[in-house]
Amino acid sequence: MNRISMSLQTSLAALLVLLLTATSLAAPKRDYIVTASKPDRLFVIDPVARAIKSEFRIPGANDFLGAIVPSPDGHIAYVLVNKMESISGIDLDSGKEVFRANLSSPGERVKCLFSFDVTPDGKELIVYELPVKLGLSEYEVEDTRFAVFNTRAGLDAKSIRQFPAPRRVHTLLSRKNGKSFFAVGFDLYEFDRATGKQLDQRGIRNWKYANHSTPDLLAFWPVSEPTGVFATPIYSSVPPASGSGDPVPKTALMTLDLASGELQYHDFEDTSALIFSAVLSPSRTEAFGVYSQLSRIDTRTNTLAQRIDLDHTYYAVLVSSDGKEVYAAGAMCDVTIFDAATLEKKGNVKLTGCTDQAITSPRVIRR
Amino acid sequence: MSGMKPTNKKAQLLLDAAEAGHVPEVVAMESVAGCATTFDPGWEVDPFGGVASLCQPMEADLYGCSDPCWWPAQVPDTMNTYPDWDAGKPSAQGDWRELDSVFPKK
Repeated sequence: MNRISMSLQTSLAALLVLLLTATSLAAPKRDYIVTASKPDRLFVIDPVARAIKSEFRIPGANDFLGAIVPSPDGHIAYVLVNKMESISGIDLDSGKEVFRANLSSPGERVKCLFSFDVTPDGKELIVYELPVKLGLSEYEVEDTRFAVFNTRAGLDAKSIRQFPAPRRVHTLLSRKNGKSFFAVGFDLYEFDRATGKQLDQRGIRNWKYANHSTPDLLAFWPVSEPTGVFATPIYSSVPPASGSGDPVPKTALMTLDLASGELQYHDFEDTSALIFSAVLSPSRTEAFGVYSQLSRIDTRTNTLAQRIDLDHTYYAVLVSSDGKEVYAAGAMCDVTIFDAATLEKKGNVKLTGCTDQAITSPRVIRR
Repeated sequence: MSGMKPTNKKAQLLLDAAEAGHVPEVVAMESVAGCATTFDPGWEVDPFGGVASLCQPMEADLYGCSDPCWWPAQVPDTMNTYPDWDAGKPSAQGDWRELDSVFPKK
């Protein structure tokens, strides 16, 4: 017994050493940028090396790449493809398609306009569907709905739950506790993930921002990394200070904390430039917005801190997990890297063949 | 609305609604994507009344407008009506010479 016990102890000690060694050898996590381009390309970019790390083809992309939603562990990218009618899950190590949901079926055409998200446990995709019944002599617009898919359903995934959804939703964002999700549309809605019950409806169109007109926003880029806060520019106007004349256009930053659910709006300038999308820095003291200029917004004072002209229009903006670099992407065929403190251009990665990213939503994964 | 002149019946209706106090019933459909559902000025003029804030260059915005059917009067809708318009032309800045005009089917 003693010899057996000693042998067991020796084996356990060896196993412990092996585990400790493996842990110490595990590479520290780092950022990668995931983006897509026509006709069917998916890229993983190493922002430190300023180079493409991996390049894959998405089956059946059909010349269309839309929103990208990474799995929580950063190993799978779910990409809206096929003219907004399919979601393809691509393994970011092997490049293989591991998930596929074709939303349309014979007699019913279903589009997903940008809006889907993965749950924080990585187990389900929630998809906003716009179905149209294709009759022999006419099309019939059907009610919008949320459809839930099991991410382990493979290449012929069918929805496991469906429930009614409001119209005009364009961004879905899971709440961090995984129990509910937000839908950004005319207003900000929140739904129970399991039952589909509407839990909340707060103002976007019906916002309570004193003295401000009905706002307008274009929020198709479901980026909330690295802070867990979704940020987007939102436009409105206020009456002129003189009391007469034209209203004064205002640009505000709208933020939605996906953990607490806190929704905030803060004007930061009289509108003087367009901003398509925005992202909050890890310190939450700054935000960056992009279009044909790159803007740095001080969120402590709610003022525009800096704005520079860009070489061309970008639709999407990202920030590194350490907050030191900003990435402008989307629209054309490159990703440009800027110093977050100075907005000085530090690097550029051109996609293979200079193929367009168009309306895809590039993301930062950390793994 | 000052400085703006309606150029079609719908725009006139919007102006009438403003005068009658019914603007909330006809306000622009913010946050909407898809065919002909936006009141954005379009490719002709930017929100400031000029052209400097349109996408630069226009090729940057070409597929960003054709894919979601954003301005189907200016750019063919590849979402439903002309799905192959950009097939084999994945780079707007490199392939724009090969992009053809489209015409409604009779």
